[in-house]
This record gives sequence, C-alpha cells and structure tokens, in this order.
Amino acid sequence: MAKHYTIALAGNPNAGKSTIFNALTGAHQHVGNWPGKTVEKKEGTAHIGGHDVVVVDLPGAYSLTAYSAEEAISRDFIVHQHPDAVVAVVDATNLERNLYMVVQMIETGAPVVLALNMIDLAEAQGIRIDRKALSTGLGGIPVVPTAARQGTGMDALRRAILQVSSTAPNHRGSPAWIDYGPEVEAAIKTLETLIRQRPALREAYPPRWLAIKLLEGDADILALPDVVQDQALLEALDEAAGRIKAAAGEDPETLIVDRRYAFISDLVRRTVSRPSVEAITLSERIDSVLTNRWLGVPIFLLMMWTVFQMVANVSAPLLDWVDGVISGPITHWVVALLRLVGLGGTWVESLMVNGIISGVGSMLVFIPVLVILFLAIALLEDTGYMARAAFVMDRFMHLVGLHGKSFLPLLVGFGCNVPAIYATRTLESEADRRLTAFLSTFMSCGARLPVYVIFGSAFFGAAAGNLVFAMYMVGIGVAILTGFLLRRTVFRNKPTPPFMMELPPYRLPTLKGIWLHIWERTAKFVEGVTTTILLMSVIIWVLLAIPVRGGTFDTVPPGDSLFGELSRVLSPIFAPAGFGQWQATGALVSGVVAKEVVVTTLSQVYVGTAHAPIPEALPPLREDLADIVRSAGEALILTGQEIVNIVPRTVNILPGVQMPEAHFLGEEGESEDSTALESALRRSFTPLSAVAFNVFVLLYIPCVSTVAAMRQEFGPRWTFFQAGYSLLVAWIVAVTIYQGGLLLGLG
Amino acid sequence: MTTVLLRQVLQIFETAAGPLTLAEVARLLDIEEGILEGMLEYWVRKGRLRKVTPYSRICSVCGEAKTCPFLLNLPARYELITDDEPDLSIEPPCLKK
Repeated sequence: MAKHYTIALAGNPNAGKSTIFNALTGAHQHVGNWPGKTVEKKEGTAHIGGHDVVVVDLPGAYSLTAYSAEEAISRDFIVHQHPDAVVAVVDATNLERNLYMVVQMIETGAPVVLALNMIDLAEAQGIRIDRKALSTGLGGIPVVPTAARQGTGMDALRRAILQVSSTAPNHRGSPAWIDYGPEVEAAIKTLETLIRQRPALREAYPPRWLAIKLLEGDADILALPDVVQDQALLEALDEAAGRIKAAAGEDPETLIVDRRYAFISDLVRRTVSRPSVEAITLSERIDSVLTNRWLGVPIFLLMMWTVFQMVANVSAPLLDWVDGVISGPITHWVVALLRLVGLGGTWVESLMVNGIISGVGSMLVFIPVLVILFLAIALLEDTGYMARAAFVMDRFMHLVGLHGKSFLPLLVGFGCNVPAIYATRTLESEADRRLTAFLSTFMSCGARLPVYVIFGSAFFGAAAGNLVFAMYMVGIGVAILTGFLLRRTVFRNKPTPPFMMELPPYRLPTLKGIWLHIWERTAKFVEGVTTTILLMSVIIWVLLAIPVRGGTFDTVPPGDSLFGELSRVLSPIFAPAGFGQWQATGALVSGVVAKEVVVTTLSQVYVGTAHAPIPEALPPLREDLADIVRSAGEALILTGQEIVNIVPRTVNILPGVQMPEAHFLGEEGESEDSTALESALRRSFTPLSAVAFNVFVLLYIPCVSTVAAMRQEFGPRWTFFQAGYSLLVAWIVAVTIYQGGLLLGLG
Repeated sequence: MTTVLLRQVLQIFETAAGPLTLAEVARLLDIEEGILEGMLEYWVRKGRLRKVTPYSRICSVCGEAKTCPFLLNLPARYELITDDEPDLSIEPPCLKK
C-alpha cells in the first residue's frame, strides 16, 4: 500500500543539496518563502518505491545553532515537523567541515541518512572514506556515496531514504553518543530529568537535546515561554553552568562545541584517509617557474613590459579614433547647436570648444588606453599573478627594510595612490605603514599614464611603450632608494616583524569578473573627468582668457593672459631641467589638483587657444557619421596589428634580432597620424626635455586627494615632509636626466 | 582541567604577532582545516576573533576597492580582538559615498 512520507534535505551551502533535490523531484517542485522569512523554500514531490514522498529542501547552513535565519529554519523544521527522514548532504571533499551540522542533526533524534556527495571528486583527490566505520561512528545511520551531478548513487540514496522513513524510530529519543565529559554530562542529566517532568517541553523537544541547547545558551530556546517562566529550570541551569565553569574553567557552550569538534576530529582520523604526500598541484608547478628565485623577477619585468606595450601601442589606434571623433564630428555638432541658438562666434563657443571640449576631450581620448590597462591588470589579478608579484618582490622589499606584504599597497598605487595609502592599514607596524605610504606616492598611478602616452607617441612613436615602462620602473627605483634612505635615517632601529606569505591558487579569470574590473575603474575615471577635469578646464580657460598685457577677454594670446603671467613667475625654476617654458610650468602647477590636468592644461594652452577656426560650412551629419564608422573600422584593424606586433617588438629587444613587424593596411596605409597636441609638443620640447618632464610628473607632489589621504592617516608633518621630499627629488632627478643627457650629447 | 582545543586555538592568536590564515593555524595545531574553520567561526561569533579580508576595514564600498583583488585574492586571515584596538575611526573618503 502506497504511503506518504515527508523528507528534508539539509546541509552546508555548496554541498550539492539542490542537485540532489532536482534529481529526486525532477520537474515536480515549487518555490516559495518560509513563513515570515525572506528565505527561499523549495518543495517537491517524488515517487520512491511506489510511495509519495514530499521533499523539502532546507536552506544551506553550517550548524543548527540558530545564529542565522537559515539555521533557525532548518532546526525548527527538523525538530518540530518530524520529517520521516533527513538527508544530510555533505561534500565528501570537505567532510570535516560538513560533519558539525550532521552531528547536530543526529542529536535532535531525527532519522538521518548521510549522502556523501561529490564522492567522485573526493576519490579523484585521493581521499578514501571508510563508509562502514563512518556509519558506526555516527550511531549507525546509513551512509550513501553519491555524485549527484552525474546521477551516481541516487538509486541507493532512494533505497536508504525509504528504509529509514519506513522504520523511523520514535523521534522523542535522542542518542547519547557524544560524551561531553563528566561535568557537562552531569549537568545534562540534571536538566534532562527536569525537562522530562514538564509535559509541554517533553512533548515538543527531545529532552537531552533541549538540555544541551539550554547549556549552550541558545537564545531561541532560552526565549521559549515555557522556559522563561520556569524559574526552577532556570535556577538549575544557572547552578549547572556555574559548576561547570568552576570545575572545567570554561563556560558550558565552549566545552560542548569543543567536544563536538573533538568527536569529529577523532571520527575523521579513523575514517578518512588522504594521500600521504599531496600531489604537486598545477598551481605549485606554475609557481616553480613564476616565483623561481632567478626567473621570478625577469618574468615579472617581462609581464610589466608587455602590459605597457599593450597600453601604449595597442590602444594608440583607438586613441586616435576617439580624438578624431571628439575634435571632428562632436565639435561640429556642438558648434552647429550653438549657432542654432545664436551663440556662434561668441565667447560661449570659445569656452565650449577651446575650454571644455579641448580640456575634457583631451582626457576622454584616454579611455581606450585605460580600458586596456585595466584589462591587463584584471587578467594579472584574477589569475592570481599579482600576489606572486608581491612574493617575487619580497627580496627587493627587504632591501628597504620592508617585506613583500608592503608591496601590495604599492601595487594598488599603480591604479591610484589614494587607496594605496589606505591599504597600508593592512600592515601591523606603524613604521611600516608610514614608510609604505610614503613610497606608494612614487608608484605611477593611472592618472599619470596619459602624460607618458601623449609624450611617448609624440617623441618615440612605436617605442612609446618603452617610455611608459621606463617611467614605471623609475617610480619603483626611486621608491626603493627612498626606502633605503629612510630606513637608515628616520626609521632606523624599527625592525619589521617577520612575515609569511600564502599564495592563492591560480585560476582562470571569468569574463564577468574582468568586465567588472574594467567597468568600475573606467566609470570612476569618466566620473573624475566630468567633474574635476571639467571644473579645471573652465578655470584654466578663464585664466587664459583674462588679458594682463593688453588685448581683450578671450582674444588675448595665451602668453599675455593671466595664466601665462602666473606661470612665467615659476618657469625659471624648471629651466635647468629643460622645460622652462611657461606652458609646461602652468601644466605642472595645475597638475597638483590631479595629474590628468597636466594633459588638459597642455591641450588648452597648446591646442585650445590656437585651435583652427571652425569653418563656416560644417560637413553634413551623414558625412560625419560615415567618417566615424570608417575610421572605427581602420582603428580596429590597426589595433589587431598592434597586438600581433607585441611579439616582434618584444623579441627585438634582444641584441642583433630584427623580427619584421606586421602592417595590415600596408605601410603606406598607416598615416603618420598624430594629434594636434602631439605636434605642438614636438615643437616645444626635445626628446630629452620630454623625458625629464615625464620624470618630474611621475615624482613630484602627488595630487591633492593623495595629500589629503596622507594627512588624514599620518598627520600634517609627515605629509609636508613627503610633499617637500617628492618635489625636491623630482627636480633633482629631472635636472640630472636633462643635464646628464646634454653632457652625453643626447640633447 | 580538560584540555580544550578551542582554547588552544585562541591561545595561538594570543601569542601571534598578527593575523593568521586558516592554513597557518591548522599547521600549528596539526588539525584538519575543515574542522578548524568551524572553530574559528565559533570564536568570531563569540566576538573574540575577527575575520580580516585585506580591505575589510577600508574602501569596501569604493568602486575601485570592490573590484580590487590585489588583496582580495589572498586567503582571509583571522586576528584577535583586543582592548587596545588601533583608532581607525576616521573614515576614508571612499567610505563616505
């Protein structure tokens, strides 16, 4: 005769409960919420051995201690709904972690079936589980190996469920198979006796289980009306807890939890065997090369070199395309709109075109550059390589009295110096924190990258990546030297605590993860461009429009403007470094607000005010749109070409090697396309003064946000010291490069 | 008095110089990581230990940090909660969004 049974599936998250639920119920399931909770309730029906079985999928939980809604739901269902069987689904590859909840399930007196799920994975890892001994250790419950994903063991599980359901014992009994030690057992016995004398409690809960829960101080149980109002029971509980504390030196809960873990530990030792020598994992094999004592650093440098080749060269065609779209069609459309509303030829048109579009646009063109940088960093991070970079650099960090852990905030500094300074909070020693934060400002952040890219493209063409790479290396080098110096002066006699580093396993990055990296960071860059840079563009445009040596507002030559006049006051300071022109000085001063503003200012000074007048007859919209599409196609082809050319450019570093580079559009098809700003820079700088200028941008006072973060974390004295030091070092290094270059005949 | 493994776990942190990973403690106590994980979580619930992901105190809502796995990829560590906690009450700007 067909019977109706109700069974529950319970277990830790990710143990494969849902897969077993689906395998048992097929399409016969519905989803709702547990009464009064936002936790999902899944219920389904199955036919097992001709019987109707309702299968309830309990929420994943790590214990039945009711610390979370999921735990409370699971416990209440098992204790109050008296399912005919509880299938405890455990991950066989991590049995130790999963058994705690199983032990608690059995303590409730519920009829438990243990599904050793993912047994295939466990066996593949060489884990052997003595199922018979495990069953005996757990009070004789059936233990069924399953691999639910493959459908393996499901028939055996169905048979076990049926067997347990049809012979379920009276739920009121609770097996006393964990010995909690003399003190706790005596208390359990006392409380159990009192519970048995109270019908309301005795009927609702297994007495031994309830006694244990009372001793554990379970908040839900202590809040039961039948407990709260029972003074005698509460007094007995207090007295028992006091006795345990006095005798064992621990509170009852700690002792009970400890005994459970000791029980599990002993059971696992007896029933689970792992391979005595763990097989060398793929991660370890990769690490034997990537973190090798001799190969680690060259590989790290090669990785960084490749990244900057990608950043500077692969992104170049797309950068030119965005620049063309902004200075062409977008500018045309804005001008057309202004003319439509009668503002053509006015100062508003100048502000829009020469101020805002020139300033903000000069930054937006770098979106392809940053997208590629973030893509490269995301790939290195998500594969787990970045942690190796810290490990590889550990030896170098010791040179400056720090360890690899300090390299992590420094790596963060490659993105932005502000989080790098806050990231130093992960270091234990205050001296390490101060020193690491100090050095992190020399890490070349993303905001400095546009400066290198624009100068690199203007002066070094296809070798622009080398300039970018060199700038990052100079930053690291100056940081190391500074650390060396400070360790022997300011931080002498302040030893660094020992550090042990654990590397995460390598893994394949996901598309979603990579996209998130790129999107979040690029969105932040665009947010900065449309706020700070926009404001600075307007301010610089106004300063450039105010005449101080004759002329009228907005028509004054830049050199005669207030901006030119103010910049000229400071420019002699930079003359020994080769960039004493007032335009460069003005860009450096405004760059203190944010390093991107250096490019914005250069663009406004060199290009904005000298912008070719907008022709009276603007091209038709259709022509602009066709131009955008055509140039986008070309840019994509050239991007592919630059990706392919990474290999020959890398190989060509070797002396005597000259591998030919690809030319997808033919050499004549590649126009010597350079932006208006690049052309202007070539007229104003020499390659040597350009390098000196880039080094100064890299090293001088970090942006105001970084200064503010430094002040907040370390106070004004340390901040002023850092700002003064970086300014001085920047000047000294830039002057040394320029003057040294002149002496060597490189000027 | 009984030797309590849970107490030994806490003592490891009391004598450690700083935060420790699950694997480090498991090696020190010669215990399976799966069992130890639950024990550490017990002390976290009791307010004696704290799980420290590298950015747990900072930048957790900032766009960059949220997607910044420089440190997030590293194993989580646990540290003792002491009375002389460093004053980290000043909120970094990235938390003030």
